[in-house]
Amino acid sequence: MTTQAYLGIDVGSISTNLVLIDSGSTVLFTAYRRVDGNPIHSVQKALLEMRQTVPGTLEIAGVGTTGSARTLIGAVVGADIVKNEISAHARAALHLHPEANTIFEIGGQDSKVTILRNGVVVDFAMNLICAAGTGSFLDSQAKRLSLSIEELGERALLSSDPTTIAGRCTVFAESDMIHKQQAGHQQHDIVMGLCQAMVRNFLSNVCAGKEIRPPIVLQGGVSANRGIRRAFNEALQTEVIIPQHNMVMGAYGAALLAARANPIRTRFRGYSLCDREIATRGFRCNDCPNQCEVIEILDHDESLGRSGGRCRKWEQGVQAGGSR
Amino acid sequence: MTALAIPPWGNYSIALAASVECLRVTPWSTRCTTPEIMKLGTDASPEFSCLAFKATTGYFIKAAMEGVEYGVMVNSVGTCRLRYYRELQQKILRDRGFNLFIFGLGYDGIKPPLIRHFDPTMGDFLRCCGRAFFKVHAVDAIEKLAWETRARELHTGDTTRLMNTCLKDLDEARTVPAIRALSRTIPARFHTVPTDAAARPLKIGLLGEASILRDSYLNHNLEETLGSLGVEVQNFFLLGNELAKIFHIGFRSPDSRDSLNRLARPYLKSRVGGHALESVAYTLRCAQEHYDGVIHIAPTGCMPEITIRPILRKISQDHSIPILELSFDEHSSHVGIVTRLEAFTDILRERRKQASS
Repeated sequence: MTTQAYLGIDVGSISTNLVLIDSGSTVLFTAYRRVDGNPIHSVQKALLEMRQTVPGTLEIAGVGTTGSARTLIGAVVGADIVKNEISAHARAALHLHPEANTIFEIGGQDSKVTILRNGVVVDFAMNLICAAGTGSFLDSQAKRLSLSIEELGERALLSSDPTTIAGRCTVFAESDMIHKQQAGHQQHDIVMGLCQAMVRNFLSNVCAGKEIRPPIVLQGGVSANRGIRRAFNEALQTEVIIPQHNMVMGAYGAALLAARANPIRTRFRGYSLCDREIATRGFRCNDCPNQCEVIEILDHDESLGRSGGRCRKWEQGVQAGGSR
Repeated sequence: MTALAIPPWGNYSIALAASVECLRVTPWSTRCTTPEIMKLGTDASPEFSCLAFKATTGYFIKAAMEGVEYGVMVNSVGTCRLRYYRELQQKILRDRGFNLFIFGLGYDGIKPPLIRHFDPTMGDFLRCCGRAFFKVHAVDAIEKLAWETRARELHTGDTTRLMNTCLKDLDEARTVPAIRALSRTIPARFHTVPTDAAARPLKIGLLGEASILRDSYLNHNLEETLGSLGVEVQNFFLLGNELAKIFHIGFRSPDSRDSLNRLARPYLKSRVGGHALESVAYTLRCAQEHYDGVIHIAPTGCMPEITIRPILRKISQDHSIPILELSFDEHSSHVGIVTRLEAFTDILRERRKQASS
């Protein structure tokens, strides 16, 4: 007796996340691992990990991909649905917390706010030109202080009198942190000050002009950071909700979307793709002055798809974002 | 023959090139900016100048490097920083040792300097104006049909291919009768594209700053990307309307200056430069005509268009019409723009579903 399962894959700038759900939307397996500069490899490793963990009677009946590498990974694994991360995150948040009015999603490079009303997305915003207020910055600061990212969050909770850190720009925030450290401020106060600066920056830049109404769901990699949670709670004077699968909500959303699409026959290429040598090849299209760099994804000699052009001429085997 | 550089302005470049033939010059023109032009322009421009400035500056530098002697640039009064662009670009070229002279194309007496310099015969001049006028209208007709057809096409790319063939034919048409004959065949040609007759595509209005709206390189091929997401677009910058506005032709039309002023009046009573008042008026029109959404486009740091963004947000609330604001500069990431467009169309589809249930 086989059970049908749906797989969601979210490959972002920092992490590759996998979520496997059954047809009743129950989570069977989750994985969170670093991309380490090679999205294809990281997905192969995560899939291997999944194969070893879940029972062999499970049949993958649908696959959804999301995140900035969604098109690439969609071609590599054979996705039935390729969805942008804003919609995928909203799908998952609404599934777990249908009452939510706002979603804050802070990842490695992107931070987003999604406004929901009556269970429907009505507006969104994404950070534009600035990385202040994203996970990468916290990551680099933790490294500079020789703390793990988990420790940084714990340390922030110890602070009773956070230091003010200039948070408009990550580079200047770092200078300010060093200045405060040389002036003798306690480390936990500086770390908490950093969390506050990040939250302040997120609320004043990304959320500018948006009506932030509770209940608020906080998700994405940074939501695991307890210092950030504390800073949000204090700044908004309300308790933000951390959903059950906060770290892998994008992948969860992609899995839910794959289950909803419920393809007759999945395009999933099977676990065997983990052992294959999948390479990419770039070439420049000279058909128009745009001279786009087109990426072709190759499994030995077989072309899995192409992406990267500004027009859709080269996009073959890779599904476009939405249903028409 | 001497060459005259005309900055790219989307498909209108075809008409612009035709309009200068009476001056007995070779038009040096392309339909969109290229990465090379952008790089030249970015290197030569102040960091905080707008994308349109950087693109046109790069274009003139490239032209000068190819030995082009003359260029032409809009510098009309009452717009925005644009009115000083010609002077600034001339200085940049001179500082770099280039000999390209840029004619300003704004109100400057009854005979603009460009005409004074090349002094065409009245007959030639009128003939060229006629050709350019009909070409502009032909381009507008082709584009409107392409927006409509692309959202419904069964095979991705059919519409774009046909559009390019039509534009090529238009470029090659030399006389007014030939242009008019070609224009008459265009609707029938678009009807040959296999489409899904039952499709009810989303309808989105594109408005904002004119050069970004019209340069498919600068706007990351917005129209085609939206078309392939199943969206029918209406680009509200139509040069036909713009010319009618400048020369006060058809002042009773809904796109005349008076009509737009009236439409925008509840939200904006004075012109704030550029096409900002038009953006307000057309956003209101999109709301009246039940468009699914509006995308407002501006170069990063564009004074007029950024001035009206709070007004657009108010209109969005008052009339319950979703608006996506996109700012473009030379650093804009293509992936980031596509992600936003996909998410925006998801929202609009969901709204439709809710409204119908």
